[in-house]
Amino acid sequence: MTGPGQAWLVAVRELRERGRSRVFLFSVLLMLVGTAGAIVLPALLDTGPAPRDVGLTGAAPAGLVPALRAQGEAVGTTIRVHRYDTPADGEAAVRDGDADVLVVDARELEWPKRADEQLQALVTGAIQLVTVRERAAEAGIDPDRILTVLAPPPVSNVELGQAAGRSPGDENAAFVMTLVLFGAISTFGAMVLSGVVEEKSSRTVEVLLARMPARSLLAGKIVGIGLLGLAQVVALGLVALAAGALVDSVDIPAVRPAVVAWAVVWFVLGYALYATVYGALGALATRTEDASSVAGPVTIVLVLGFMAAFATFGSIDTTWARLVSWIPVTAPLAMPFRVAMGAATWWDLAIAVVLTLASIAGLVVLGGRIYTRAILHTGASLTLRDAWREVRPGSR
Amino acid sequence: MLEFDSATKRFGPLTALDACTFTARPGRLTGFVGPNGAGKTTAMRAVFGLVELDSGSVLWKGAPIGPEVRARFGYMPEERGLYPRMRVRDQLVHLGRLCGGTTATVVRSVDGWLDRLGLADRAQDRLDTLSHGNQQRVQLIAALVDAPDLLVLDEPLAGLDPLAIAAMSDLLEELAAGGATVLFSSHQLDLVEDICEDVVIIHAGRVVRAGDLADLRARATQRFVRVRYLGAAPDWSGLRSVEVTEETDGEALLRVDQDVDLGALIDAVRRRADLVSFVYQPPTLSELFRSAVAA
Ligand SMILES: Nc1ncnc2c1ncn2[C@@H]1O[C@H](COP(=O)(O)OP(=O)(O)OP(=O)(O)O)[C@@H](O)[C@H]1O
Ligand SMILES: [Mg+2]
Repeated sequence: MTGPGQAWLVAVRELRERGRSRVFLFSVLLMLVGTAGAIVLPALLDTGPAPRDVGLTGAAPAGLVPALRAQGEAVGTTIRVHRYDTPADGEAAVRDGDADVLVVDARELEWPKRADEQLQALVTGAIQLVTVRERAAEAGIDPDRILTVLAPPPVSNVELGQAAGRSPGDENAAFVMTLVLFGAISTFGAMVLSGVVEEKSSRTVEVLLARMPARSLLAGKIVGIGLLGLAQVVALGLVALAAGALVDSVDIPAVRPAVVAWAVVWFVLGYALYATVYGALGALATRTEDASSVAGPVTIVLVLGFMAAFATFGSIDTTWARLVSWIPVTAPLAMPFRVAMGAATWWDLAIAVVLTLASIAGLVVLGGRIYTRAILHTGASLTLRDAWREVRPGSR
Repeated sequence: MLEFDSATKRFGPLTALDACTFTARPGRLTGFVGPNGAGKTTAMRAVFGLVELDSGSVLWKGAPIGPEVRARFGYMPEERGLYPRMRVRDQLVHLGRLCGGTTATVVRSVDGWLDRLGLADRAQDRLDTLSHGNQQRVQLIAALVDAPDLLVLDEPLAGLDPLAIAAMSDLLEELAAGGATVLFSSHQLDLVEDICEDVVIIHAGRVVRAGDLADLRARATQRFVRVRYLGAAPDWSGLRSVEVTEETDGEALLRVDQDVDLGALIDAVRRRADLVSFVYQPPTLSELFRSAVAA
């Protein structure tokens, strides 16, 4: 049993040892709770516009109270009416914050400071309505009819956002998803990096490579850590979907099964791409301290990819944004963002997937060679150029 | 049987292995000795493909060593290394499984070895909480876990206390007696002389002596005479073809030719000193080593 069988044993070891770490389990739990909370909590806390308190004093036309309530209802605001015997009582209430406005003799509005325009419009509207009704009655017109005629039609607000068919809620969800993908790819990529360096600096490789090919060791490590990452990303996706379904009051198209499924696919592709590079570069370092300097350029590329994906926000339909979502180094972050924003066509996806898969295949060959050559090298850290020179085709 | 056939390895201008040819036979302990930098570690790593030979080859049972065969060899590298943060037993089971054993057989073997080497109570501890000597034992188990036919141990005695050295020697003899081919390097020549049937002496990448130790000693052209006497060191001048290699109060070691006239030598010594004992013997491994390396 050499090759694939051994690679699988290596993968299982990674899963077991890392999956057992309390720090890791705790961080996963925290992320799951955080995701669920981020979706459910705003819905629970969002009880609509706050109720307003309107104080009345002095002469008030009959029907003003129901008129105020009706006006409030039309814009979704609950109006609570309080009566005060004297203007002084009412003013004290306004000053204490018990009432938002005091209506004196249905002619004067008294505010704690500046007038609140929305509430002013509402109260004035109610007063006018009641006044019109009184005058209509005086003029012999049926007050109820005039009221029906003048009843305010309900007007609703729509938040447009950047892309057609997507609300700012979707944009937030797409942002968060891209952030999670970036976090997952860099976290698990870094795990591959530090794992490779750990094996090399502790000289465990010597024992391992006496029994198995270097390629199987690297492949097993990438697969094992990748499965761990996949489990985390899938769990996050499911929690997001479940939380979204729980809160049916908010409908976020960005949090739908198809979008989440694509996010998972792009995690796998992006992780495979970056982990291969991290693994190969990790073999160049000799000590743990060198790992980050050796892998620095890749981390920078990953961060730039993340920033490029974010930069497509607001210009998702431009050619530039489309290219960013095709190029393999940026596609794993930019493409799921595009999908979440509803701007990805099937051929966008096809092009990006094919290009990324092709790059992964190339990197696996090249990275495998660099790893095989560099992993047994001792002494000072190799530069990429040293390793490159050592990468002779046909060796090992 | 493990065969090195004209194995050559160069590191830039340096020739670490220079057409090395020797064998290690099954059922026998083969000691691999040579000064620092002679090429022992390089040769051992070549068995596992950890060093790529520039020319020549290493053969096992007459055939080149492929991954399947290699996975079943036991190896204790010079630079010890196991996962520092992994538990001892989990780690050994993992390494045993990589050799191809089923979980059940590997677990049985690991537990047996942990028990035998007195580590059963540390089985669930992280490796880096063990002392250096105990980590070394774990490393040995890693090499033995799959009951390999070939064991290659690079300085297995380094860093062990005298009791552990004795235990390790017994163990190596036992493994060889069980039919395994055991090649191990060491700088402790007296011990190698005690326990090994075969030795290979390597110097500057070249194999300078190899074969059955008793044969090598018998075939040496020189003999040694250890004389003890009372009183001060005598004046040795005038003795032909005799070289004094060591001299202390009351004792001296003389190097003589294989065909020396012993009677005449005894008389000559008697004339110079109050002789207590006179021991004529073939060279020890240390002496073989010294003359081989000096040449
Ligand atoms: N990777 C390498 N790159 C360059 N030179 C090397 C390398 N490995 C070994 N050498 C050189 O090859 C020679 C043989 O080294 P090797 O480690 O095999 O000696 P050794 O017999 O095991 O010595 P020791 O008894 O000190 O362990 C030394 O001169 C060493 O410097
Ligand atoms: Mg050595």
